[in-house]
Parts: sequence; structure tokens; C-alpha cells
Amino acid sequence: MEFSQNRSYSTRLAVIGSGLAGFSASIFALDRGIIPYQIGNTGPLAYTTGYFDLLGYLDGAALADPWAGIARLRAEAPEHPLARIADTAIRAAFSRFCGAVTEMGLSYTVSGGKNLNALLPAGLSKPTLSVPATMISGVEALAAREPALIVDFLGLPGFSAREFAANFKAMWPTLKFARLGFPEMETGAEVYPEVMARALEVPAHREALAERIRGAVREAGEVAFVGLPAILGVHAPDRVHKDMERLVSLPIFEIPTMPPAVPGLRLRELFEQALPERGLVLAPHRKVERLELRGDSAILHFTDNFGEVTVKAEAVILATGRFLSGGLAAERDGIRETLLDLPVEQPETRADWYREDYFDPRGHAINRAGLLVDDAFRVLGRDGRPVSPRLFAAGAVLARQDWVRQRCGAGIALATAFRAVEEAAALLQERVG
Amino acid sequence: MSGASAAAAMPVIDFKAKADELLPDGASYDSCLACGLCSSGCPASGLEGMDPRRFIRMAVLGLNEELSNTPWIWTCTQCKRCAHVCPMNIDVSVLVGLARGLWPQEKKPSGIVRSCEAQMRSDSTSAMGVMPEDFVEIVEETLEEIRASDPRFADLQAPVDKEGAHFFINQNSREPAVEPEEMGPLWKVLDYVGADWTYSSSGWAAENFCMFTGDDNAWRAMVEKRVDAINRLGCKVWINTECGHSFYTLWKGVERFGLTANFEPASLVTYYAKWIREGKLPVNSDWNTRGLKFTLQDPCQLIRKSIGDPAADDLRFVVRTLVGEDNFIDMQPNRNANYCCGGGGGFLQAGMNEQRRAYGKRKYDQIIATDASYVMTPCHNCHSQMEDLGHHYGGSYHVVHFWTLICLSLGLLADTERKYLGPELQDI
Repeated sequence: MEFSQNRSYSTRLAVIGSGLAGFSASIFALDRGIIPYQIGNTGPLAYTTGYFDLLGYLDGAALADPWAGIARLRAEAPEHPLARIADTAIRAAFSRFCGAVTEMGLSYTVSGGKNLNALLPAGLSKPTLSVPATMISGVEALAAREPALIVDFLGLPGFSAREFAANFKAMWPTLKFARLGFPEMETGAEVYPEVMARALEVPAHREALAERIRGAVREAGEVAFVGLPAILGVHAPDRVHKDMERLVSLPIFEIPTMPPAVPGLRLRELFEQALPERGLVLAPHRKVERLELRGDSAILHFTDNFGEVTVKAEAVILATGRFLSGGLAAERDGIRETLLDLPVEQPETRADWYREDYFDPRGHAINRAGLLVDDAFRVLGRDGRPVSPRLFAAGAVLARQDWVRQRCGAGIALATAFRAVEEAAALLQERVG
Repeated sequence: MSGASAAAAMPVIDFKAKADELLPDGASYDSCLACGLCSSGCPASGLEGMDPRRFIRMAVLGLNEELSNTPWIWTCTQCKRCAHVCPMNIDVSVLVGLARGLWPQEKKPSGIVRSCEAQMRSDSTSAMGVMPEDFVEIVEETLEEIRASDPRFADLQAPVDKEGAHFFINQNSREPAVEPEEMGPLWKVLDYVGADWTYSSSGWAAENFCMFTGDDNAWRAMVEKRVDAINRLGCKVWINTECGHSFYTLWKGVERFGLTANFEPASLVTYYAKWIREGKLPVNSDWNTRGLKFTLQDPCQLIRKSIGDPAADDLRFVVRTLVGEDNFIDMQPNRNANYCCGGGGGFLQAGMNEQRRAYGKRKYDQIIATDASYVMTPCHNCHSQMEDLGHHYGGSYHVVHFWTLICLSLGLLADTERKYLGPELQDI
């Protein structure tokens, strides 16, 4: 080892980004026997609810059947990334991804034909395709309007059981609410879901909390379910969840909370631990600073604690995300792709980015800006042809979608990563041949 | 706490302006979303009414007087977990370091200041005030005792100031000052692998509290003295023994102060792993017939702040080999995402015991969640803090050095070297 050391590596496939698109691309590549080199900054994965949406809304209306919604997209918006992918590939992407996450130790429901109506923190719900096992009872309780006790905690901002029950009152009148002190965190100071979740990895803390919940259930009267903010462990939520249900003697469901929330931390810590054990070469919390495209390869440059690192790759998947993740930058003279200054499809002027009303159901043009790709998910240049046969893109960086309004973020991430990996694998196969 | 109370006469600085100067390329305090991931993941959150998010928001709002006065900066261990989890790469620890340096010496926690002053007092650079001649004498006496106690070690060596030795080994002052018998296992390991090594009478100490005072000049002075000692002896490799921050302070200091180091820096952990892989240290877990469970503390200074995954991998390889694959249980979170135990940053010396133990509760819960009987760590501050947390919160786990278990496995551990082992391992 030196005090500082510049190092060079080579890989068949480099994945840039560490959100859902980046990590799922690595999972799909490992499935195909390709060992990727993945580099990604911390990113906003920790902000997720934990739900994997396929397609929840079109034109402001909730979709019970996301597949019918995708069929509509094919007719009405054929350039939408989901419209360009066959149902079989989308199903395979979801099923494989949810399966892999479950195998790694974080159980998810099997993605099916219909959307689930899943709970949100403020007493709302949204259509989604797959939810963590710790949250599925909430979907069932809502569907059957079962009497449930929603619990919040002293000092926990951003989640109010009373607000949750009040907003649901019309459709779910049997909801009750209670506020508890979390054992050993009752000074009135701010408490964080992450801290409570870590504490619940310890059996004694589970017992102490369960005793309080049992007391609240007794006071609440007839209750068939208990709903908690998502605090049932970070590393082993399935185990913590089961144990709490045993201790409380009622089915329990988690409700996602506002960031900083636990469901995203679970995913990030799971991926960072479990995927390297499966062979992934991961440089987490590192940002690719420069990307060069050469005739037969791409060169990625980043810096770690010891100096500069270069990675030579035969194929690259850009899963760099949008503005928050740094894949796109909004500047005074337009929207720019940050690594290669790739052409970004975008409104003509800055004045066209937003409509007058932020909540306009038609959405804002800036949200549909992004990279254009061909059917093989290769990034297109200004001439409408692929910039390089080895440069693919996946996830939110793609144009012609509005993942926030359509609730299709995970759908786009997983399905486009699946396709990009499929095409990258074909390219790598050719090169071997 | 001693001496760290807020005072009106504290110099006030423009945190936001300073922060902008110190930021790495591409990071921006203006881009803070106030999402709170930093505070959620920081064991110092809530102490002294402060947390990392609040600190940054106050800096952005120009509340410089409040930030210049808050004693929270002495509860932040500068572990950099906030930067690790921040999507915008905002690092609160650099502002904390800056604020620490600006406190008048007499207002800083006296324990940290006294430790630094002791380091400045002699060529030893020892925070416990062990003078060079005392160190040499303690090493000689301890060596004599080991040689006399067991004929297998009649020729054991512990060279000092041996010019041209391949390895320069440093030593945390706690051993020569308080428990010299703990140096024995290290010497036996070095002897077993046939290492060509030496201590130095100058710059031998493996701790640097000057860095924690926020005084860059003092940090530099300590590192310069040590680098000079290593250069002078012409050693090829500087091996930092089982200590976290003393690796970081020299490794980072060489770059930060532009020093010339004619040697490679290395952690002893890297060499334990290398020697095991090469068959020079044929350790195994045969001794662990009871299936005792072990967990591992990743020192922030060694893992997140410096070597990162390669050292984290080596640590796990060594532990698994020593205790058995099935007997190792990782703490969660771990590696680069691990929580600081609360022993770092000078916290153990700062006299703020109530805050330090509140900080350490998260570490205590992490340990208890593993249900392990033993915690291994290659860091003296982690070691002391986790022991104290165990006593304070009623945990029954033991904290052990690596060298203890390596010698236990090799059948080289003397009865006097078992102070950190539980009763079930006293006779093995």
C-alpha cells in the first residue's frame, strides 16, 4: 500500500449509479453470469417508501390494472420507456428483482396482475405492484376496512396516527389512533425511525415496546390489526415483524414514513452487503467524475481515499438518475447530462419547464426531459443514432416519462435495466464470439 | 464536561464561507435538502441540543456565534458517517474540526488538551507521558519477564532503534504505561512469522490527540516527528498496530502537510491477513470448542476514513479464520456504514461521560443484537469505549485484541496475557 495510489481495473460491464436502476442492473447482470463493476454515489435510494410501483396513474386516474395501463401507453405514448418493453420482459424484471431481494433477506410480495392499494404516511394510499412483507397486512386491512389501531411516537416528526386516521375517516371509519413513548427514547427530543428500528433488533426492546402496544390495544377496544410507522428493524425486518406480531398477538403492518425513512435504508444496506457477496464489484459512495468513450471500450474515472481509479469497460449502463442524483443538471441555459454532455430532450426554453400550477394534472415538461434511447436502450446522439454501441441507459434519466405523476419509478428502473442488461449481454456475447 | 462550557469571548467565524472553501469538488452546502439522513445516522444527534442537520442549517443561515460556542463539537467524533450517508456528500466533520481549532485552549476539554501537551513534551509523542528512556526500559523489562517465564520464548526479540529493519512498529501508550504484558502477544506474533521489525525510541507512540484538539500545527508536529523517526531508521514499511486513529493521523497527515515519507503505510490487520494467507500464521478455530460467538467492530478511522473495504475484508477474514465461520456474527450496520462507538475524536478523554455513554448506546444495542460473547476490534479507543459501555449498560460481553486470539489459537498465550478473556478461555 502507498500513501496515495492510482489504480486501474477492467470489467466487462460497468454500471454507473446506485439507485434501483443501478442495483437491479447489477442483479440482472449477475443472473447472466456477468460480474459488473458498479460505481455510484450515495443517491436518493434511502428516500423510497419501499414500494415497487409499476404504473400507478395515467392522466391523474389511479390504475387497478397496470398492464392495461401499459397497453394504453403503447397506443397513446409509444415513446414512453415502459411502452417500448414487452410485458414478458417487464414481468421477468419485476419477478426476478423482487425474488432476488427476498432471497437476500428482505421479503417482498410476489408482483402480480393487479396493483395493490398501499398505505402512505399522511392517511392516503397509492397503487403499487409489490410491497415489503412487513407492509402487506396494511393493504389487506385497508381493503377490508378492518378495525386497526395506528400508533405513532412521542418525538417522531412526519408521522401522525391521528392525521392518518382523520384523512382515512370517510373510507376507513374503524381506524383508531394512539401515541406512545418509545422505550428509552421519551425525553421529548426528536426520535428517528432509523434509531427505533435499530433498537428493535434487540429482543428486550421488542418486548418493552410490545407491552406498551398491548396496553394501547386494550384501551382501544375492538382492534384486528396494529399499524406502526416503518420501524421494525433495518437488517432483519421479517424477523422483527414476526416477533412483534407474536408478542402483540395481532397482525401488524408498517406504514412508510417521510425521509429519513427505514425502507430505503434497508434496501441500500442490503444491496451493499449482499451483492458483493454474490460477486458484484461495488464502489459505493463514489461518484464517477469522467467517462470517456473509445473505439473498443469506455473508461470511467473516479476518486477514492487513496487516489484516482480508472475502470476500463466493454459496456456501460448509465443509471445516473435525474437532478437529485446528479445524472442531469438544470442550468440557466438548459438541462445538461453531466458525464458526457449527451443530448437531452428538453423544452425549448427554461420558461417552458413548468406550468403555472404546480399540481396541474398534466404535469410539467421538465419532468419528461432526459436521454433518448433506441429499442436496445443505447443512448442516442444528436444525429439520432447510437452514440456508441456500448453505452446504454436505464432508469429515471430517460426521457418521455413522468415517474412522479405516473408512479412508475420502480417500473421504469427495473424494466429498462433488465432490457439494457439484456442488450449489453448480447453485445458482450458477440465480442466473445 | 470540563472546560468546554460556552463563553461569550469565543472567536466567531463565518462557517458557511469556511465550509465552501473546505468542500470537495461537486459538493455544496447550498444543496442540502434537509432530509435528515445525516442526523438519523449520527449517534451524537440530540446531544447538547444539536445534530448534524441542525449544524448545517445553522451554518447556511449564518448563525455563526451559536455554532462557534456549541460544545456539541466535542461530542461529534468526526467519524464522517454523516458524509457517508448524505446524497450531497456534505461532511459536517470538517466544520467540527475547524470549530474545535478555534476554541481557546483553556476552554477545550482539558483531557484532550493535556493528552496533546503530553505528546508535545518528549520525542516519544506519547499522550500518556511515557518518556523515550522509560519506553525502552519497559520494553526490556517486559521482554526479560517473558523470556524467563517460558523457555519457548527464551530468544524472543523486541528491537528498538534497529536501523534498516523492514518493519517499523508503533505502540499505543496504554501498553507500556498501564499493561505492558499486552505487548507480549504482539511480539510473539512478529517472532512467529519471522518479521524483521523494530520499535523506535522516538515517535513510537500510536495515538494523536493533537489532531482532536483541532490544532493543525500540533497534529503536523506529531506526524513529522514520527515520519522522521521512520525515515531515519530506513524501514520499508510502517505498520500501525491495533489502533484506528493513529493510522489515519499519519496516513492523512503525510498528504495534508505535504511530508516526505520514504516508507509504505500499513495496518497490522492487513499483515495478519497476509501472514495467515501465506501460511506463516497457521491459526484456526479448533480452540473454540464451545462455539463462542464473536462480533467485530470496524474502527471508523481505519475503515470509513482511510483504507475502506480492503481492510474490512481483511478483518473479517482474520476473525472468521480465528473463531470459525459459524461463530462470527457481523454487527449491523457494518464496514463503511458502521456506527462510531463513541470512543473516537477524543471523546474518551473529554470528561463528558454522560454524553459519551448516551452516544455509545447505539453501539451497545448493535453488540447486544448479535448475541455475541466477544467483540473483537483493532482499535484501543473502540476497545475502551465498548468495555465501558458493557459495564455501564450491563452487557456481559468481553472486548479483545486480535493479538490475544492469534496467540491463543497458536498456543502461545501466557496466563498473564488473558486479562480480556472470559473465564471460559482462561485454561485453553
